[in-house]
Amino acid sequence: MIGYLGVDVGSVSTNIVLINEDNQVLENLYLRTQGQPIRTVQQGLKKLAQHLPISTVIKGVGTTGSARHLSAVMVGADVVKNEITAHAVAASQQVPGVQTVLEIGGQDSKIIILRNGVVADFAMNTVCAAGTGSFLDQQASRLNTPIEEFGTLALKSTTPVRIAGRCAVFAESDMIHKQQMGFELPDIVAGLCEALVRNYLNNVGKGKEILGPVVFQGGVAANVGMRKAFEKELGLEVIIPQNYDVMGAMGAALLAKEAVAKGQPTKFKGFGIADVNFAVGSFECDGCPNMCEVVEINEEAITIARWGDRCGKWANALVREQSKIS
Amino acid sequence: MSVKVGIPRALLYYYYYPLWKDFFESLGCEVVLSDKSNKGILDSGIKNTVDEACLPVKLAFGHVKNLADKPVDYIFIPRLVSVAYKEYICPKFLGFPDMARQNIVGLPAVIDTTISFMRKRHNVDQAYKQLGKKFSGNPIKVRQAYHKGLRALAKYNQLLLKGHLPEEAMSIMYDRSAKASQVKPCGDLNIAIIGHPYNIYDPYISMNIIKRLQSMGVVVVTPDHLSEDEVRHQAGRLPKKLFWTLGQRMIGAGYHYAESEDIDGIIHIAAFGCGPDSMTGELIERNIRGSTKLPFLNLTLDEHTGEAGVITRLEAFLDMVRWKNSPKKQFIS
Amino acid sequence: MKVTFPHMGYLYVCVKGLLEYLDIEVILPPPTSKRTLTLGTKYGPEFACMPLKLNLGNMIEASELGADTLIMIGGCGPCRFGYYAQVEYAILKDLGYHYNMVVLEPPDKHISELTTRIRKITGNKSWVQVIKAIRFAYQKSRAVDEVELMSFKIRPRELVLGETDRALAKAIKEIDNAASPQQLQLALLRSKDIMNSVAIDPNRPVIKIALIGEIYTLLDPFSNLNIERHLGRLGVEVDRSIYLSEWINDHLFMGLLKGIRSTKEYCQSAAPFLNHFVGGHGLETIGSVSVYAKRGYHGAIQLFPFTCMPEIVAQSILPKVGDALAMPVMTLIVDEHSGEAGMITRLEAFVDLLTRKREFKAN
Repeated sequence: MIGYLGVDVGSVSTNIVLINEDNQVLENLYLRTQGQPIRTVQQGLKKLAQHLPISTVIKGVGTTGSARHLSAVMVGADVVKNEITAHAVAASQQVPGVQTVLEIGGQDSKIIILRNGVVADFAMNTVCAAGTGSFLDQQASRLNTPIEEFGTLALKSTTPVRIAGRCAVFAESDMIHKQQMGFELPDIVAGLCEALVRNYLNNVGKGKEILGPVVFQGGVAANVGMRKAFEKELGLEVIIPQNYDVMGAMGAALLAKEAVAKGQPTKFKGFGIADVNFAVGSFECDGCPNMCEVVEINEEAITIARWGDRCGKWANALVREQSKIS
Repeated sequence: MSVKVGIPRALLYYYYYPLWKDFFESLGCEVVLSDKSNKGILDSGIKNTVDEACLPVKLAFGHVKNLADKPVDYIFIPRLVSVAYKEYICPKFLGFPDMARQNIVGLPAVIDTTISFMRKRHNVDQAYKQLGKKFSGNPIKVRQAYHKGLRALAKYNQLLLKGHLPEEAMSIMYDRSAKASQVKPCGDLNIAIIGHPYNIYDPYISMNIIKRLQSMGVVVVTPDHLSEDEVRHQAGRLPKKLFWTLGQRMIGAGYHYAESEDIDGIIHIAAFGCGPDSMTGELIERNIRGSTKLPFLNLTLDEHTGEAGVITRLEAFLDMVRWKNSPKKQFIS
Repeated sequence: MKVTFPHMGYLYVCVKGLLEYLDIEVILPPPTSKRTLTLGTKYGPEFACMPLKLNLGNMIEASELGADTLIMIGGCGPCRFGYYAQVEYAILKDLGYHYNMVVLEPPDKHISELTTRIRKITGNKSWVQVIKAIRFAYQKSRAVDEVELMSFKIRPRELVLGETDRALAKAIKEIDNAASPQQLQLALLRSKDIMNSVAIDPNRPVIKIALIGEIYTLLDPFSNLNIERHLGRLGVEVDRSIYLSEWINDHLFMGLLKGIRSTKEYCQSAAPFLNHFVGGHGLETIGSVSVYAKRGYHGAIQLFPFTCMPEIVAQSILPKVGDALAMPVMTLIVDEHSGEAGMITRLEAFVDLLTRKREFKAN
């Protein structure tokens, strides 16, 4: 069996996806990052290795997400891509002809506009991250509702309440206020979904030409209340793709497949890295007033990467050392 | 002991520093620049400015504070009312000397000469003559100093038109060890960066965007590579004359580059809370999205902007442009 | 031709008066509401100031009612307001609202620029008629200001809560309905009677607070979340640093009319702290604090829309002004996300502070 790995390490969740030559998802893993990207990726690879037949050949690996560089040096990636490109690639593979991708993740949201199968425009949230997954999680627990039921609760509403405020803190205080006025829970939840959609479109979607087919992906796409609010506001059908919650990782896998298509061998270090000791340390460089926090990652006590220095002094020093060793 | 005049490395330093430097030095002063922008300078600026001010003003406060601690005898913060006929820079430039005076503790003597071109060029010449009197009783010497400054400025503007970026141009002029490199940076993409000079050229608050793009194989052009005439001609397409000089330059450049055959994309850099940016950005974006379909990215900078977020957006933007240009629609060329 | 223009508090009373005096059909935008703001926020630039968004919402709503000609005031900087009309027009055009836009602004080169624009609206009416209409509109603005001024005095002293607001609405309607200068004189008498019929307790002690800052947020109750009403209910007598008629005189008549309060006094009083024009009303804001301090006011509240440039300059200098004059100054910034509850809390706290300060002085 031949496969390609995609690893998406975000602030909230880490996804690992394995696709085959026909771009079908064979395995997909969803893990909570919990601020420990290295351990999470190692656990994920361990789990995956237990599932797979011994004969599996990994021909390519791609990483994406906010910890893409860290995970890339760990696993030995063939391609490192930002999450916008990864999401766009996955969406156009799953829904050919897609023209708009709405993506709401744990702490970030983006919109991608595609025309003729190519990204024509995109935007990410600017001054505010209200309305992303973390905020919904928080509100669900405050209302004593499991997040999985949040969406179905919203669907029960007949007259959504208008929730004001772009900022999460203000939206929350407005919700509490509306509860104290005696509004029904489903109406409040539906109102919250509508407020989040409104804010998303005013902030991220401002000035963008939103045409169908529209794909809604990212963790928040599981919430049917959000989907309905989008459909109501846009007046378009909103498609939730099959692998909506691992689209970033899937895109990374697709990109990896493309990267090695030219015949070069993969840089993948193998599933063994799950048991290797990676240690991350950081120090404050006092070479100039910027006081950069330089991060270095060590594999079995050998430094394999450094970053965080604006001037490149430390990162470049490492490159020189490595070229000496080899 | 010569008198030390401090000039903050902020705001219109990027447009007029050669003039100021040669003018003061010819009058026997020692010109002291504030340090290059860094975290410490921005932090002290944020501490000393009202929260609602825009990022470049906060940074400029930091530079003034940095000079105050050096110490210097004078700090030169001219009140830049207007540098072109019937145009302004922006309200905060009008009030900047007063804002600094009322908020920064331990400020040395401030020179806040009013530079106003509102009606006549003559007013500006007068302002420099008045300023020169502070340092020399000899009017001829003052006039010579002013003309020397103007010559330096003309030379500097020539260097910019040749495609040098401000820092390069200044090192060619003032750093004897630096050779005038005529080597054009090469790359597979030409991207125009549109923004206020003090945002796009400041390596710290712009997240070093120009160098970063160059290292990603991009040839960067900015509004300052275009002549005044071209910029004004393009901005003249607006139904009403724009009364912000820097906004004119940005809109004119936006229109010019949107129609250039060899430009692959435009990045507009706005500062959060900047009044003119909120209007000119809208007009540039509407023009580009409406007519040319050129890839366009809007980046908003503020003191909370994380480097990671900017890098992600830049990488995605370059991917988008290269993807669009590649014949086989492959992501990796 | 169905003419409309954006709202700014009671501005509609005099502009409508002017146009109807010349037999021009006017379509008023519906009163500014949450919907107006939602529309403006949706289509306006994210970081533009709130007045632009509200104006844009007004224009969209007026177009829905069939308006086809738009009157806007322009300007020549450095504040953004001078370029509003152009940006709004570009947005409306892209959205498919087709307006004929007439921008009234100081001529760039020759007075004829302005007169041709006025002609676009007034058609073949004689200049004498037009001037009469302008004078009539100005009289209306004076009448509106008079009853508003009465409401500032009456509101903190009313015996029945909300009585003043009901009377004010009625009084404004009287003025609005007057169709000629003669009718206006009678209407003003009637509206003053209406205001005087509100039962008050003349001996109630009041705190006096000056509202200073940016013109739109001072004049437009929707944008300032009805600050005058809230302060009145807290027993505060307010005054505004600028009135509609003064703004018309200063901006449209180039300060030609003498004998009414002009902003010149403010500019002179600002000198020790700021002695240069900074656009908008920034300089006036600084100067007005010392004018009100001299007049025995207890405190001042600076109001402006988020990101307003001239007022930010003023805001950064105001603390020094307040200290020098021993006058507490509070700054309130409004935008589309401002909530009334948060503002009332701040107002109550500020009024408490002033009350305690006054009692402390008395003992």
